Amino acid sequence: MTTKMNRRGFLATTGAAAGTLSFLGTKGAFAQDGGTLRFGLSAYPPSFDIWTSSGTAAGTIKMMCHRGLVGYDKDGVMQGELAESWEVSEAGDWTFHLRDALWHDGTPVTAEDVAWTVLEAQKPDSAAYLQGQLASITSVETPDAKTVIMKTAEPQAVLPGWFASYNMCIAKKGSERDSLMGAGPFKLASVDRGVSISVVANPDYYKEGMPKVAGIDAIVYADENLRVAALEAGDVDVVEYVPWQAMAQIDDNAELQLDTTFGPFMYLTFNATKAPFDNPLVRRAIGHAIKREDIAAAAFYERGAPLEHLPIADASEFYNADLANEWSYDPEKAKALLAEAGYPDGFDCTMLSTAQYGMHQSTAEVCQAYLSMIGVNVTLDLPEWSTRVKKGNEGAYDIAVMGTAADNNDPDGLANVVDGALPLSYVRSYGLETPEISALFAKGRASFDTEERKAIYKELEQIAIDTAPIMGLCWREQGYGLAGNVSGFSNMPGQLTFYSGFTLEAAMLG
Amino acid sequence: MLRYIAFRSLVALFLVWIVVTIVFLLLHLIPGDPAELLLSGGNVAADPQAVAAMREKMGLNAPLWQQYLDHMAGVLSGDLGVSFRDGAPVIEQIALRLPRTLEVIIAAALIATGIGVPLGTYAAIRTDGKADAVISLFASAALSTPVFVVGSVVILIFAQQLRWLPAGGFVAFTEDPAEHLKLLLLPAGTVALSLLAVITRMSRASVLEVLQRDYVRTARAKGLPVRAVLRRHVVRNALIPVLTVLGLEMGTLIGGTVLVEFVFNWPGLSGYLVSAVDARDYPEVVGIVMTISVLFVLLNLVVDVVNAALDPRISLGR
Amino acid sequence: MKRSTRKLIIPGTIVALVFALVVLAPVLPLQDVRGMDIPNRFSGPSAAHWLGQDGFGRDVMSRLIWGGRASLFIAVGSALLAAIAGTMLGLLGGYFRGVVELFTVRAVEIILCLPPLLLALLVVAILGAGTWPLILALTILYTPNYTRVVYAATQQVRSLDFVTAQQAMGTHPMKILLRTILPNVLPPLLVQMSLVVASAMVIESGLSFLGLGVVPPTPSWGLMIREARGAMELAPLLLVWPSLALAGTILTFNLLCDRLQSALDPRAITAGGALWLRPRGPKKPLTPLPAPQDAPLLQITDLSIAARDLELVRRVTLSVRPGETMALVGESGSGKTLTGLAMTGLLPDTLRLTGGSALYTRRDGTRIDLATLDEEAMRQLRGDEISMVFQDAAASLNPVLRIGDQVAEAITAHTTLSGEALSARVVALLRQVGIPDPERRLRAYPHELSGGQRQRAMIAVAIAGNPRLLIADEPTTALDPTIQAQILALFAQLRRDTPGMGMIFVTHDLAVVAEIADRVTVMYAGEIVEEGPVAEVFTRPRHPYTAALIASVPESGATRLTAIPGAVPLPHAMPTGCRFAPRCAHATERCRERAPQAASPAPNRITRCLRWEEVT
Repeated sequence: MTTKMNRRGFLATTGAAAGTLSFLGTKGAFAQDGGTLRFGLSAYPPSFDIWTSSGTAAGTIKMMCHRGLVGYDKDGVMQGELAESWEVSEAGDWTFHLRDALWHDGTPVTAEDVAWTVLEAQKPDSAAYLQGQLASITSVETPDAKTVIMKTAEPQAVLPGWFASYNMCIAKKGSERDSLMGAGPFKLASVDRGVSISVVANPDYYKEGMPKVAGIDAIVYADENLRVAALEAGDVDVVEYVPWQAMAQIDDNAELQLDTTFGPFMYLTFNATKAPFDNPLVRRAIGHAIKREDIAAAAFYERGAPLEHLPIADASEFYNADLANEWSYDPEKAKALLAEAGYPDGFDCTMLSTAQYGMHQSTAEVCQAYLSMIGVNVTLDLPEWSTRVKKGNEGAYDIAVMGTAADNNDPDGLANVVDGALPLSYVRSYGLETPEISALFAKGRASFDTEERKAIYKELEQIAIDTAPIMGLCWREQGYGLAGNVSGFSNMPGQLTFYSGFTLEAAMLG
Repeated sequence: MLRYIAFRSLVALFLVWIVVTIVFLLLHLIPGDPAELLLSGGNVAADPQAVAAMREKMGLNAPLWQQYLDHMAGVLSGDLGVSFRDGAPVIEQIALRLPRTLEVIIAAALIATGIGVPLGTYAAIRTDGKADAVISLFASAALSTPVFVVGSVVILIFAQQLRWLPAGGFVAFTEDPAEHLKLLLLPAGTVALSLLAVITRMSRASVLEVLQRDYVRTARAKGLPVRAVLRRHVVRNALIPVLTVLGLEMGTLIGGTVLVEFVFNWPGLSGYLVSAVDARDYPEVVGIVMTISVLFVLLNLVVDVVNAALDPRISLGR
Repeated sequence: MKRSTRKLIIPGTIVALVFALVVLAPVLPLQDVRGMDIPNRFSGPSAAHWLGQDGFGRDVMSRLIWGGRASLFIAVGSALLAAIAGTMLGLLGGYFRGVVELFTVRAVEIILCLPPLLLALLVVAILGAGTWPLILALTILYTPNYTRVVYAATQQVRSLDFVTAQQAMGTHPMKILLRTILPNVLPPLLVQMSLVVASAMVIESGLSFLGLGVVPPTPSWGLMIREARGAMELAPLLLVWPSLALAGTILTFNLLCDRLQSALDPRAITAGGALWLRPRGPKKPLTPLPAPQDAPLLQITDLSIAARDLELVRRVTLSVRPGETMALVGESGSGKTLTGLAMTGLLPDTLRLTGGSALYTRRDGTRIDLATLDEEAMRQLRGDEISMVFQDAAASLNPVLRIGDQVAEAITAHTTLSGEALSARVVALLRQVGIPDPERRLRAYPHELSGGQRQRAMIAVAIAGNPRLLIADEPTTALDPTIQAQILALFAQLRRDTPGMGMIFVTHDLAVVAEIADRVTVMYAGEIVEEGPVAEVFTRPRHPYTAALIASVPESGATRLTAIPGAVPLPHAMPTGCRFAPRCAHATERCRERAPQAASPAPNRITRCLRWEEVT
């Protein structure tokens, strides 16, 4: 799999290689004659807010127009973006050195803009995706227009990773949060709400020769079948979120390319504020009751793999082989655990999923079928996605099917899924406190030593196995479909697959 | 005539007012707080303070009757308010979407009438013959096959296999007229299919009825050629009820093309309505509903006027 | 069993079968609809799974049947609930009118202005997706349909005598509504119901398809289509089964509804169309014969007309000379109108000529047999040589065309006249038939003219082509007496103006005959019973029927009308002997046994009576 890159990615994060990766821009023909790329989006972004997580489609658009301090190259290696280089001091203070970049309006990107961004996003009511993490930054100093120093209460080894997130784009001081005026490779040209977003190449983009195409028309195809049909019919050049049932068909089509990566995963979240899922025994019983292969087969058309532990890929150096099957399918054990928890005859509950995405619904249906075998009668609740998100955030469910990718390929990226200290969110179990896990995440973030971190995350995973703050179901392939003549765009490895929008700057037609 | 139209318009306005009022009240009854929905767009539960502030900004904290009066006052002055979601004026969004929906409906009506009337007439002429059986079966089948099945199949055939037409989507006419028309073809064709079935059946029944009329015998007694009898006496008279049905069907189609819009990714009014309800964007929902019901009653009025124009026996004066 | 009832059998049986299948689903040996068998997903049909397995390895056939149960339950359930609500509102509104009507029928019509989708969306938003919210939404949606139908039917029934009688007797309105009116509005209700079931199934499947309907894993057809669409290329059959089931069931319901409608409403056109529109065989060659010097304009010999095996007109023989007016007299059902229509080839499709000939002498002096002409040859004669004035001018003129255009059309059918000349001719014709201010009236629509003027316009249409034979089919029957006299005067004037034109004047009114005709032919039960010059026949009828007819004419001075007892025998119950015998005062045993032959009591006269010598 792809986590071979993971180590390099992490090394960059820890600063060992920081700043040494100077950008190797090839002086090519000026880009803007490259035609317009047509990109099939899976949804119209509910919001262009730079700091909130509004889904993959919004992320892709943000990656066209915005850039963060750092980013990833196509292999998932962290690289400088608005920051040319960065380093960490003995005390754990991070210093970023900005490059000469311009906003779309022609003014230079300054340290003051970065400081403003961080201070805005870390406000308690900012609703920023990384608000919890950013809150640990105690001060942002700007000794000159090109230098930013961030100080944290505890040393934060993973801090640059936060600034690689597409939900942590840097905005010009004082700009609107949902403005697409950034320093990215493309400038907003026009918006047809609910239909399409057009961007044109930014001639002042700081990477020479980029972007390669003159512009991108991002067209929304909410219906996954139509998205595939549009690619096959030649209406679009790239589609995101290739539905699993269509992957083989795109792969077999000589005129198309399929680019997939393992990374995102499906899991269950629980409402821990009420019985029976406040009981870890019940949560574990659920895990032992479901045969993961069947989810991989039915929901992902064999393009999935069982996930019976925390979502740490087997190629990662943080992978713990001895824990890998701790949540394995074992109905007898499931029944025993239920009995131990005081539910020998099972119980009734509702399972939240969504009818909007086929694989979420299919996963829920398979889970429902297996849970009925241990006496847990599940009623499905399948609202459209936005309602599902809302219900998840409000805890209006007993058990919920969720699918996502971690923030990055570092185990700290799992915090967002598992860490109960973070604000209530549909991506995590509702109201589930994980004091030990939270502490271990903090410890892991503060450590710069790989071996030490391995031990920390192993301990963390063991605790997670026992308390089941989430229940892993399966890994899934995540795919982009490309027309034969598209090059330069690539599906980024592992958990970074949703960052693939970064490579649109290098995408070429023809 | 003018007095009649004025009277009918007044009744129509009254109807629209009632509909809008009902929808306005129903909207506040359904669960889901627009402010909260808007603020929990990310991955985090909305902050209660932010929600309260947003509600204030949206004007949702005022008593319902006051919200209602404010909104109605706005409507009377031609202001449908702004979207909760992004502050876009609702009237602009409707002005953008409505023509697209109308376009599909009108294109479909043209296709359906152009094919359905001759087809139904032919079936009537050949009553109980093979052609009639085939046409009637086709019409019943077209009427019975849900649009989403038809849509999926035509995309598979024309876009994915034959690659004659794009699978779906929308391009403004001003941007690329040829592409626009190509994109229009499949959704309009799909809507036309069910409309075609209705028109064909109606034409058949209507022609059959007219054929029994004495004036057709008179026309024959004049020694007119068959085609002249058909054209001037049979089809012309048979068209009147067909056009009435067409008008009413078109009325229900405004706001009823959601499946077609979904399947072909056509950004019309119906899809807009669905997303507005999902987001609990009250001003948008009320604005769209008002537009649809105004068009609906307007179309009914037009049907009456056209009927009166076609059939001199009908006088609109009452 | 009637044909229309017979046609109900097939769709009725299918619907019954479908219902039986879904009702019996719990007891049928079906596999578990939720039972997954993921290793065998997308398996094709097998012995264990007749229709194969779906994406979860579930049995498609049992899902199809259970899915039909969900779909039909929702459709039928909402159709029934809406029927109950709509019927009540319609009954109340239609019966009490006034304020009640406002709050029932008119209030419900507001729903029609709401987009159906919005209604469904709101209901689902309030109550959540699922079977019952869907039923509620559909019930609200369809209530106005029923209300309208029941309202209209109630209003009709309400004004009927037996209802007014009950009202007068002081029966409680509720009792009248339930006992009397409800049974009467049931037929249209039934039709509406099958219509709504079909329509509700379409909407249910659409909502389930959008994810707003039935919640999985409960199967419904719309949901199955939704699930199968993604895997369309992988397992196309999965899309085919539910689509077929859905479309097939809706189709059957629509069919049932259509046929129910024609079975319940006998007025509805069942068959027919128009045979004249169909090309029938190769064109028959015309064989004109030279006519003798003094040949009559029309010589009908032994002409018979039948509907299937029922003979309606039997061996009619008569002739019309140029300039002569022949009156064809008889009660309704005597076949006189049919004989007239046969001469223009305008017989209804169900009738045909079964024998005899009708030799017609054309302008060029040649004779052709009208009985052998095909539609096209007949068409060329119509309007030009032979023309017809119909009985009911209001129905016989096209309501949506101006009078002038309808007259002009009759001219252009046989000439190349156009423009000014054409309008001048139209004006002249209208003036000739006595329409005042023809220049202005030619722009009028038929409904804008009085009854008499319409008949004049009708005559103008008939004489527009200068026909040589004019057949007038009871042209004065529908008019009131003063107008009748004017129209008769117009015909008399026509005879004077066009001396060469022969005329067949079909009527049941002997007074008219006396006024206008030269000769009279009396028909009874499809046969000619007497024929002769008007004056002679009237002074001395040689057939008891003619005598009875003349006796029944109200004459000044007559104290009472002598009606002929009995009625004309029906075609399928013709007496074996003399057809008039059952009503004849002079009939004997011999009359009842033997059909009389035509006899000639005098030159120029014919009678079909065995006893003419004795009784007349």
